[in-house]
Amino acid sequence: MKRGSGLRSGLVTLLMLLPGLAGFFGLFFYPMLVAVVRSLRPEGQQVGWTLEHYTTFLIEPRAQGVIVLTFVLSISATLCSILFSVPLCLVLRQKLRGHRFFRLTMLIPRVVPGLIGALGLLLLFGSRGWVNLSLMRFVPFINEPVRINYTIPGLILFYTWLYFPFTAVTTLSTLESLDPAIEEAADVAGANRWQVLRHVVIPLIMPGILAGSVLTFMAAFGAFSIPLVAGGNYRPLSVEIYKQIDLTPMRWSAASARAMIMAALQVAFLTIYMRILRRPAA
Amino acid sequence: MTLIRQYLKAIWSGRKLLVYTFLLCFGLLIYLPFLMIALKSIGRGWFGRLWLPPELSLDWYRFAIEVTNIPEIAKNTLIIAGLAVGMATLIGIPTGWAFGRRNIPGKELLMAMILLPRMIPPIAYALGVAQIFYRLHLINTHFGVALAHVAICAPYAILVLSATFEGLDERVLEAASVCGANPLRTFFHVIVPLILPGILSSMIFTFTTSYNEFTLTLMTYGKDTITLPVRTYIALGEGYWEVTSAMSIILVVPSLLVLFMIQRQVAPEKLVGGFKGV
Repeated sequence: MKRGSGLRSGLVTLLMLLPGLAGFFGLFFYPMLVAVVRSLRPEGQQVGWTLEHYTTFLIEPRAQGVIVLTFVLSISATLCSILFSVPLCLVLRQKLRGHRFFRLTMLIPRVVPGLIGALGLLLLFGSRGWVNLSLMRFVPFINEPVRINYTIPGLILFYTWLYFPFTAVTTLSTLESLDPAIEEAADVAGANRWQVLRHVVIPLIMPGILAGSVLTFMAAFGAFSIPLVAGGNYRPLSVEIYKQIDLTPMRWSAASARAMIMAALQVAFLTIYMRILRRPAA
Repeated sequence: MTLIRQYLKAIWSGRKLLVYTFLLCFGLLIYLPFLMIALKSIGRGWFGRLWLPPELSLDWYRFAIEVTNIPEIAKNTLIIAGLAVGMATLIGIPTGWAFGRRNIPGKELLMAMILLPRMIPPIAYALGVAQIFYRLHLINTHFGVALAHVAICAPYAILVLSATFEGLDERVLEAASVCGANPLRTFFHVIVPLILPGILSSMIFTFTTSYNEFTLTLMTYGKDTITLPVRTYIALGEGYWEVTSAMSIILVVPSLLVLFMIQRQVAPEKLVGGFKGV
């Protein structure tokens, strides 16, 4: 009787999980499988196996540049968002007047489409944008517009603009769940505010910062719309993939091979990152 | 050394000002791009080193609505987003319930698996999705594009809903049955009101995700299923920045309105969260 009901409840659970699993396998696992198989087929054929798409891409000297560029962009964007988010969260935490407004402001880059963010940033930082106009007007020795758009620092800035909310939100929620008693204790023990920050608060919120930075990194690594419209001559992996099927005839196999390389690189990097993160905690 | 200390002290005493300057810069950095788009979309003949457009006109909006057929495209976008929300919610409710309230062996692992689509770059599986859809003739149908969006929306719905269902207090349900409510009554008068906010927030989040989705749409759209983000991209490629700006404003105002509307009801921070456990 009891075993029977256990079995039945197990079946019911499975039935409930079914839609989710169907979605996962149908819309993620199977497509990935199709892409893997396609990447191993000769271009435009349904039979035969080949590794040529991987080898031709990886041998190209340009490919290494593409991969390095992808990593440089995503890692520097991650670092910039940490450097920007931590002071911002420390400020927002003090609950100054209007902090609700700034909290909401923090989310805006995530609720508008990346394309529009890119368009606005291109306009703002363009050679006739307000940033360059004010630089020329108020900063001595700058008479020519500074080139920001379509350069690597510009791209890093755009990436940071778009993806810092992941880091900031996670950091802020960690900061707010911090027990104020700990800081008071440090205060009573005679630490000044800088010491409290440096030796108590920052180490305690470190896990939150790092977890958020993982999200930022993942988003920046897979970023597609920003480099597509604001990348200029710089093409990270995602754009490189898209360019393969933007041609006629579409090169599905070549694109799939690049996509697999990209997915593998991301998983590998995340695994290493997690290892490093977990170590001090263990 | 003392000079540095004095200097630091001066900064410290002016810290309130410093903090507000910092916040001001932050606000400017976030909002100015939108202001630039808005100015561009109503400006005319804005060239050279001018701070503001010399004349204003609504021509670009008229152009966007008439020539690029915005109403039709907005209809597509809304149909697709509606379908995607519906499907994601239908997937999310039972699966979220199972994750939130039932014993599943290897729950953590299963959840990590379900969330995998949010960790792999979308372009990687969008390629596979596009190839399958070409074979099934789902390209250029509203249902197909919406189905592709479900790949990203469903993990999200499952995550939000399982947290909602997990928060349902067993004692409340017991109290209802002790007070003599039959299961049906318990369901409609106790469970539904308790989980409705969670379901609503999951629907809002999946809606914004689908509304803004670009990568998966770009891989599966056709001439009858162009959505607003894709149209903006095409217009950007055509090089008419003024028209693109007008379209962007049309596209972005609803998302901002939704954000400001929902901020009191649901914590919008959830919008970016997801897997804090990683």
